[in-house]
Amino acid sequence: MGSKTIKIVLILLSALFVTLMLILPLATVLVYSLRQGWRTFVSCVTDDYTVKALNLTLLTAAITLAVNTAFGIFSAWSIAKFRFRGKQALTTLIDIPFSISPIIAGLVFILIFGRIGWVYPLMEALDVKIVFAVPGIVLATIFVTFPFVSRELIPLMQSQGCDEEEAAALMGASGLQIFSRVTFPHIKWGLLYGVILCTARALGEFGAVSVVSGHLRGKTNTLPLHVEVLFNEFKLTASFAVASILVVIAIIILILRNIVEFRLKREEG
Amino acid sequence: MYVELKNLNKRFGNFQASDDVSFGIKKGNLIGLLGPSGSGKTTILRMITGLETPDSGDIFIDGTRVNDLPAAKRGIGLVFQNYALFRYMTVFDNIAFGLTVQKKDKKYIRDRVSELIKLIGLEGMEKRRPHQLSGGQKQRVAFARALAPNPHLLLLDEPFAAIDAKVRKELRSWLRDTINKVGITSIFVTHDQEEAVEVADEIVITNNGRVEQVGTPIEIYKDPKTPFAAGFIGKSVTIADYGKLHGFEKIEGFESALLRPEFVHIMKPQNELYPHASQRGIVEDIFFKGNTLELRVNLDGQKLVAYQSLDGASFSVGDEISVLIYRLYLLRENEVRLAENRSIKSEGNFFI
Repeated sequence: MGSKTIKIVLILLSALFVTLMLILPLATVLVYSLRQGWRTFVSCVTDDYTVKALNLTLLTAAITLAVNTAFGIFSAWSIAKFRFRGKQALTTLIDIPFSISPIIAGLVFILIFGRIGWVYPLMEALDVKIVFAVPGIVLATIFVTFPFVSRELIPLMQSQGCDEEEAAALMGASGLQIFSRVTFPHIKWGLLYGVILCTARALGEFGAVSVVSGHLRGKTNTLPLHVEVLFNEFKLTASFAVASILVVIAIIILILRNIVEFRLKREEG
Repeated sequence: MYVELKNLNKRFGNFQASDDVSFGIKKGNLIGLLGPSGSGKTTILRMITGLETPDSGDIFIDGTRVNDLPAAKRGIGLVFQNYALFRYMTVFDNIAFGLTVQKKDKKYIRDRVSELIKLIGLEGMEKRRPHQLSGGQKQRVAFARALAPNPHLLLLDEPFAAIDAKVRKELRSWLRDTINKVGITSIFVTHDQEEAVEVADEIVITNNGRVEQVGTPIEIYKDPKTPFAAGFIGKSVTIADYGKLHGFEKIEGFESALLRPEFVHIMKPQNELYPHASQRGIVEDIFFKGNTLELRVNLDGQKLVAYQSLDGASFSVGDEISVLIYRLYLLRENEVRLAENRSIKSEGNFFI
C-alpha cells in the first residue's frame, strides 16, 4: 500500500514539474505568437528575413550533419574496433564540446580566424571570410554538436565486440563490405538516433553561433539569433512567431526520436 | 609437419601471452590446445589465423612462412568462441558469406551451402536468423560457415564452452566425426581436460604462455613431463609428505608428489594383500559417480581420493580400510618422476 502511494506521488510530482517547466513555456510561445491573430502570425513567419534565417539554419544543420555523421562513424569505428595508444584520451577529447560553454566555443573561432587570430593573414590572402560569415557559423555549429553521433555509436559498437567483423575479415571481406554488411545493419538505428539529436542541437544552437555570426540580418542570422534580434527590438509577437517555428521543428524531431528509440529498443531486446 | 610454430613470442603490455611457443601438427590431425584460462591458448590460435601478430618467431603452414600473409589469404577457417554469427543475416547468408565475398557464381554457392547444411543437419532452417537457433545449432552454423570456403586448416576457439552439458557431449562426438569425415587438419582450444582427451588426436598443454607438453592423450596421461602436465590431466591430489606413505621414501629435491585415484587400491582390512606396502585409513565420505563410487579417505591426516567399483566390496563412512598405493608422481621444479611402491616389489621377489 505504501509503495503504491509513493508511486502516485512520484508520478504526480514529475508530471507537475514537466508541465510547469517544459509544457507551459512552450505552450506560451505558441499562444503568444497567435495573440494578434493568424494573419500577423503568417506575415511574421513569411517575412523575408525570417525565411532567409530559416534557410541559413537549415543549410548549417545539413552541413553539420554530414560532417558530424561521417566523423562520428569514423571515430566510433576506430575507438570501438581497434586497439591503439591514446584511445582513452581520444574518447575524452571527443566530449569536450559537451563540457565547455558554447560561448567559449564561439570565442575560440574568433581567436583563430578573427582579425587578431593567427590564421587571419592566410584567410585574408585567400580572400576567405570565416568569422562573421556563414563558414564561421557552420564551424561553430559543428564544434558544438561534434560528440552526438560518436557518443551514441561508441557504446553500441563496443557492446557488439569485434568478433563478427573479424570473422568477415578472415573470410576475405574488404573494409567496405564489412561495414555495409556486418557493422551498419547493427548500428543503423543508433546512428539515426545520434543524427536526430545532432540535428535538434544544430538547429537550435545559439551561444557559439551568436559569437561568430555578427548578426547581419538576412546574411548571418540564424533562426535562434533572429528570435533574439526581434525580441530586442520589442517586436514580441514576431519574435514569438519565429520561435514557434523552432518549437514545431522540435516537436517533429521529438516524435521522430521516439519512433527511432522504440525501434532501437526492439532491436536490442 | 603441416603446421609448424617456431619460438613464438607475444606480449600485451606487461603480460607475456606467449613465451617461446613451438610445436608442430601433422596433416589431418585434430589437435587440442589445452590449458587453464589465461594460459595463452587463444593467443596462439589468433596468431595462427593472423588476427594477432607475434612479436617474434615464425609460423609455417604447409611449408610456407605465413607471418606476413594477411589473415584472409592463409586459407584458415575459424569458429569463434561465441560463434560470431552475423546476426542480421539468415543461416544461408551466414554460411554463404565467405563464398559471396570471393565472388563465386550463384549456382556454386547454392550447391555448396546446401551441401554444408545437410552436413550439419539443419535442413529447412536456411531462412532462420541466429537468434532463432539453439546454442548447438549456432555452433553448427558457425562450423559450416568456417568450412564453406574450403580452408586447409580449421581452428575452433572453445567450441563447446557456451553449450549446456548434455548437448556438449553429443556435439563433441558429432564434431569429431564430422572433422574426420571432412578430413581437415584442425586445432581446437579448450580448458576442459576431459573434452581434450576425448576429442583430440594430440594435445598441446599450455600454461603461463608456455607449452608444457605435446603428445597423445595417453602419452600425456602415462608420462607427464612437467608437474603442471601431471596435475592438469587426470584427477589427482597433491601429497606434501609422501615419505610417510608405506613403500615410498623421500627423494632429495622432489618436494611433493601427485597421487591419482587410479593408483590407489582399497580393501577391507581382513583381505589385505601386501601388509608391508599397505596402511590403514578411514573412509570420510562417499560419492556416487554414476558408474563408480568415489571415496575420500583419511590416511593419518593425509586426504586422498580412491575409486571403488559398484560390484566390489562395499564400504561405509567411518570404516577402517586398508589402502595400497601402487605408484606416485614425484614432482620437482621442472621434472616428474614415477615412483613405484617398493614394498610390493620386494615382497613379490621374496615369494618368487
